[in-house]
Amino acid sequence: MPGTKALANSDEDSITMGVEAGLDCITGIDPKTIDGLFFATTTQVYTEKNSAAFIANILDLRDEIITADFTDSLRAGTTAVCRAVEAIKANKDIKSILVIAADTREPEPGTFWEYGLSDGAAALLIAEEDLLPLSIEDYYSVSANVTGPWKKPTDKFIKTFQDKMDNKFYFESLTKAMSGLLEKNNLKPEEIASAAYHYHDPRVLGIVSKMMKFPQGVAQNGLFLQIGCVGTPMAFLLLMSALRRPKPDTKIIFAGYGDGADAILLQVKDKDLLKASNKGRMGLLKHQKSMAQLKNYNTLIENKKLIDRHRYSRRSSAVTLWRDTKSLYQMYGIKCKNCGTIQYPAMFKGCYNCRTDDQFEFVKLSLKGTVFTYTLDHLYGGSYLNTPVPRCIIDLEGGGRIMLDMTEIENPTENVKIDMPVELTFRLMHEGGEFRNYYWKCRPVRGRP
Amino acid sequence: MVRKGIADKIAIIGCDATKFGERWDKNQYDLLYDAVKGARDDAGITKDEIDAVWVGIFYFFTGLSGAVVEDILRLDGKPVTRTENYCASGMDAFRNACFALAGNAYDVVLACGVEKLMDEASSGLPGFELFGHPTLPIPSAPAMFSLAATRSFHTWGWTKEDLARVAVKNHENGSHHPKAHFRRPTTIEKVMRDVMIADPLGRSDCCAMSDGAAALILTRIEDAPSYSSHKDDYIVVKANAISCQTNTPWYNPNHTFTSFPATVKAAKMAYKEAGITDPRKQIDCAEVHDCFTITELLNCQDLQFCEMGKAAEELKNGTFNWDGETAVNPSGGLKSFGHPIGATGCRMLQEITKQLQGRAEGRQVPDAKIGLAHNLGGAFCVCSTSILGQAD
Repeated sequence: MPGTKALANSDEDSITMGVEAGLDCITGIDPKTIDGLFFATTTQVYTEKNSAAFIANILDLRDEIITADFTDSLRAGTTAVCRAVEAIKANKDIKSILVIAADTREPEPGTFWEYGLSDGAAALLIAEEDLLPLSIEDYYSVSANVTGPWKKPTDKFIKTFQDKMDNKFYFESLTKAMSGLLEKNNLKPEEIASAAYHYHDPRVLGIVSKMMKFPQGVAQNGLFLQIGCVGTPMAFLLLMSALRRPKPDTKIIFAGYGDGADAILLQVKDKDLLKASNKGRMGLLKHQKSMAQLKNYNTLIENKKLIDRHRYSRRSSAVTLWRDTKSLYQMYGIKCKNCGTIQYPAMFKGCYNCRTDDQFEFVKLSLKGTVFTYTLDHLYGGSYLNTPVPRCIIDLEGGGRIMLDMTEIENPTENVKIDMPVELTFRLMHEGGEFRNYYWKCRPVRGRP
Repeated sequence: MVRKGIADKIAIIGCDATKFGERWDKNQYDLLYDAVKGARDDAGITKDEIDAVWVGIFYFFTGLSGAVVEDILRLDGKPVTRTENYCASGMDAFRNACFALAGNAYDVVLACGVEKLMDEASSGLPGFELFGHPTLPIPSAPAMFSLAATRSFHTWGWTKEDLARVAVKNHENGSHHPKAHFRRPTTIEKVMRDVMIADPLGRSDCCAMSDGAAALILTRIEDAPSYSSHKDDYIVVKANAISCQTNTPWYNPNHTFTSFPATVKAAKMAYKEAGITDPRKQIDCAEVHDCFTITELLNCQDLQFCEMGKAAEELKNGTFNWDGETAVNPSGGLKSFGHPIGATGCRMLQEITKQLQGRAEGRQVPDAKIGLAHNLGGAFCVCSTSILGQAD
């Protein structure tokens, strides 16, 4: 069956994709008003170090918030949503939690996994408010200990015993959770307008739909052939797909699978609010529309670091990273109190424009700008990987000049130009100091607000 | 307090440089020894007549402190200072040596520079992964200067062909210099179709990695006639200027990338000190930093050899040829010599000295009376400009 699937770039991982989804989700919302961040993934960048706290830091959330990683299962995303609801209900100081799911599961080349496994991220803001576009009515979970797909800490790729057996586990858990939810709420399958449940293969989607007796068109399909199975965010993306044309007062099932299943009952509360929230963001559709095509299989296996080539290694320092967090991660610049010139980074002491000493205040810089000048570096850091790399000087909207590498650019020789508009994206830079060093890059505009 | 400049106080009484190139047969001690020996012989002095030394070295692997000098000369504990100021390391050694003489601290000093790059396994300048902030992007040297090339193309309509003419001129000049690394002329076509390094700069737009050393012996002008070798043709220091600017120009919201503020400032300081009012007419020959072809073009403008935006046209018209109005890089420049960083500044100064003495065989600029040497280093952050003249 011909189709496409979404793949992360070489400078992306579950953290950077989580940042990207988070930025899109909280567009127009003051990050300082969000009380928590839950992050769900099976492809943790660190097994000891919290990704949720990392992402919250980049998104410029407050320090006094709750953060947690939900890992080790494909249903970590829906589980995080349920736990967010409970945290908000249980604690009056917690009004909203951003739930982000991201995965970059690596299929073993040449196996059937390679056909479907893909990379992606999605974010949902769970909040207690009077006016909500969509409400979480109830949820129901089952737990199952299955020897289905697994990955040990030392494994590079996902393993399985037998895919037929995996499917049996999948059918059992998922239908048990969804049926349990319907029963608990006295609902019949035909009362469900959309069912956005995780699937890893179009065939199993249809079987579950039949088992659940969902009417034709209720089960959300189609996405697999466009983006593949993105892992933990899969159910999130299916939900977003279901919400494209919302009907008022309809009920939606949102379900995740992995070592059991979570089924969540949603109700459309305000159709117009839902539509409006889709409009201001890139969402699923604009991300799909702006996906670049990989040139060839070699680019893919280079991106995924499946072939080992000499790589450039810079030194690093956890100390400077901590000291300069505001500049490096949250993109604050400084504004001269004497002449008003906005500049970057925040480490220097004198004004570039009027030479006044140390009279600066922090200002948040825009994540959009235009190219002032650039070069196409053919020997990028000695890595000789996917070159040339555009290295650009960017004038940011509203002030501040910065140097950034450009990513996600096809045919840079033709396409990079002075004055071209760009947007900033948070990416992996290098692994100096034996930890992952992230920073911002720029890319041609994909349309993130 | 009245500030006293350096003009007409210091004399160069001897100088020399090694052959530049892939000197796999020599280490930094060999190279520096050869250059210093040549300079001493040229001045006709013994090593014990040297009172103090300044040595320009950029990389730690060439040598930390002044110990390299001690290990070739055994100066019995005399003062040696290593200067590091990016590509201006060698010329700053010279500048500091001049000021020590002007302060009457010493009678005879040695200013020298050396760099041993070719012992390192690196296809470009090594160590960039160690410099600067660990997170912020650091462009390679060609990438830094390419940023200026792209912007200059945009602002002035220059092309890759305009850049290629710099390489063609300098390699033609270098083909006449026995000590140059590269001694073969090239063509516009060859330069333009060379492999790309940092677009729009190709390999032929870049200077090469190289080994070399150069040295100059200095004394106060009143003492110069007592040293027999160059009684009548010692060379006089007219100005020493250095300007330091930001090393991250990409964060400066006012930077044009079509001009190097460090060169502009250092040139102004040097011209004022030397009493130069019309550089294009008064400077007969200039060794101008041409680490990349674009660097020479922009520097020629910033040194006021021509109007802003006109360097490409002036080059095409022959203004900067060895027999042009202002000879730029009659030696062949960094393009022909390569760029052993610590050595380059002293190599330029000894080249200008020989030009003004009429001893630049095969490449002599006709009637050269006033010469200029210029380095631009880092991310266009530091510029040294020195002006030399004949003795009155």
